[in-house]
Amino acid sequence: MTNLARTSVLLSALLAGCAGHAARTEGARTALDEGAPEQALELLDEELDVKSPAELPEKVGGDNALLLLDRAMVLQQVASTSAAPSTKNYALSSRDLEIADKQVEVLDLSRGAVDDIGKYLFSDSTGPYKAPTYEKLMVNTMNMVNYLVRGDLNGAKVEARRLAVMQKFIDGHEGHGASLSGPGSYLAGFAFEKSDDASEALRFYDEALEYGHYPSLGDAVARLSKSASYRSPRLTEALHDAGNDAAPPADSGELLIVIGYGRVPAKIAKRIPIGLALTLVSGALSPNDVSKANYLAAQGLVTWVNYPELGRPRGEYGTPGFALDGSWQELEGALAVDEEARHAWDEAKGTVVASAITRLIARVATGEIVRQSTGGGVVGALLSLGTQATLTAVDTPDTRSWSTLPARIAIGRVRLPAGKHYIDLQARGVRRRRTVDIAPGGWAVLNMTVLR
Amino acid sequence: MIISKKLGLLSIVLSAAGFVACGGPRAVRGEEVAGLDEEAMGTGLDKRDLQKMLHDNMDALQTSAVVQRWQGENRPSVAVLPIRNDTSEHIESSLDSLISDVETVLINGGHVRVISHENQGALVDEVKSQQSDAFDQNTVSKWGHQVGARYFVTGKTFANDERQNDERRVQYTLFMQVLDAETGEVLFQNKASVTKALVR
Repeated sequence: MTNLARTSVLLSALLAGCAGHAARTEGARTALDEGAPEQALELLDEELDVKSPAELPEKVGGDNALLLLDRAMVLQQVASTSAAPSTKNYALSSRDLEIADKQVEVLDLSRGAVDDIGKYLFSDSTGPYKAPTYEKLMVNTMNMVNYLVRGDLNGAKVEARRLAVMQKFIDGHEGHGASLSGPGSYLAGFAFEKSDDASEALRFYDEALEYGHYPSLGDAVARLSKSASYRSPRLTEALHDAGNDAAPPADSGELLIVIGYGRVPAKIAKRIPIGLALTLVSGALSPNDVSKANYLAAQGLVTWVNYPELGRPRGEYGTPGFALDGSWQELEGALAVDEEARHAWDEAKGTVVASAITRLIARVATGEIVRQSTGGGVVGALLSLGTQATLTAVDTPDTRSWSTLPARIAIGRVRLPAGKHYIDLQARGVRRRRTVDIAPGGWAVLNMTVLR
Repeated sequence: MIISKKLGLLSIVLSAAGFVACGGPRAVRGEEVAGLDEEAMGTGLDKRDLQKMLHDNMDALQTSAVVQRWQGENRPSVAVLPIRNDTSEHIESSLDSLISDVETVLINGGHVRVISHENQGALVDEVKSQQSDAFDQNTVSKWGHQVGARYFVTGKTFANDERQNDERRVQYTLFMQVLDAETGEVLFQNKASVTKALVR
């Protein structure tokens, strides 16, 4: 086989094998939009090359880790919206999140020189996926939901500790603000509160209050403060607002509701002329690359820049709700995940587009080598253009992201008499009635996740 | 000639990218790959870690005063309770498997009669759902009567988990205890440590 033929075969193989992540998940996202999460599960299983959600793919690393994150959230939706709550699907969701959590961590630590060669010439998506901060924090947050719904405090506390390790790491590298996670810290505090660890609960609740305003924490902070000495200005303020530190009636319990609704914006592939791309990121390129890019823009030939763009979130303006025995209760807006995604993308966009322009320059340089090697002329020019066009086609914009995260998370918390209660949950047009039986001094967590 | 060389170079780069994107795992048996059981695959606890922690703790137990006490009591009954996971890793199944290993060592030591944890279903669930750090006397006494145990062997696992730059380190400590089922008194306590890490 000649080198030319070998090159063509390899290019074809790469083209066939490396569709962008957005393309791989488009079907599943469309199914979610249409209110068909079971179909979304089937499509994700197809991408993972498995027969059912009970199976794991042969390879759990690389981009399959992202597909597992996507599947985990769809499993949570199926578990929370099925006619009867499904413990099995919550458990499968936990398993997928835990495997992906480990893989995302390994990927985070492992980008090497070979990946950078691929990134330089072909596409950002040839290298390991680097999860943005908000996604890293959401892995443990969403898994805490899975454990708490099943009444498993030990599992929830493991996730809470993992969240704390990640927060500490982010705190040291990206600043304190980036490490804050409102619902994550709220749920972690809840897990430790119900485990009778008042100090740890207060520490997490303090972090939650640093992130946002949670009036429902007032009574819990007041109760916990009687048995733990941990204090902060925020906890003192919450104590002041609560006003009532009386012990709750012995024959009462607590109900926590976590509703995830809508969906974060997915990344979509875009191709724009280099001239337009230059207006977006001129400041992020070296002067040498700017002059090369300007030269290419003036040529007007194969000068398309491939880069990912953030799409629109879904359902961020939805109004979820929950009713206790027919009486509608207040929900707190715990987290706008879509805004976290937008913020993360705004920070990364300049570098991503600049990287795409750098790849374009590398492709043109490769084409130029081909042209000069053939001694120029019409054949050389055609081979040069062919090489550039092929490399442009191979350049799949890096559309990888955890695209099945809910756009928003809302939390509700009520104290209620022990015994059986009917709870109505609704979000994005889906409504379910659940029954909870609260023991005296007991608790329950209910979840509804609707990703459309 | 030159173009052929250039395309050859391009082929090599493409091949490298192909390997990055498409390398797949293969299934093997432990005996087929030298040192497979020795290799750390992550920061969780594997067979080797469990054996080390078990070995360290049980060695200390065999030479402790509580074993001498058991020898004077004509094989008292002992039950092994679930080992509590206070780490940042989901190692519950590893810790559950450790219970059987502890039972095996106790049985083969011949000093005690072991009440298998498989016959303590309700108690195992109750212990696992217990959230407070310490076992209070009343609870331990109740459990002792429940399963007919004179002593309990139990434990807790802690971890110091840190991540810095491109590395993560988890330092596990397994505390094992022997409790008097009537008084709740701690008659033996020992710790064993294992460190796992992702390093570059």
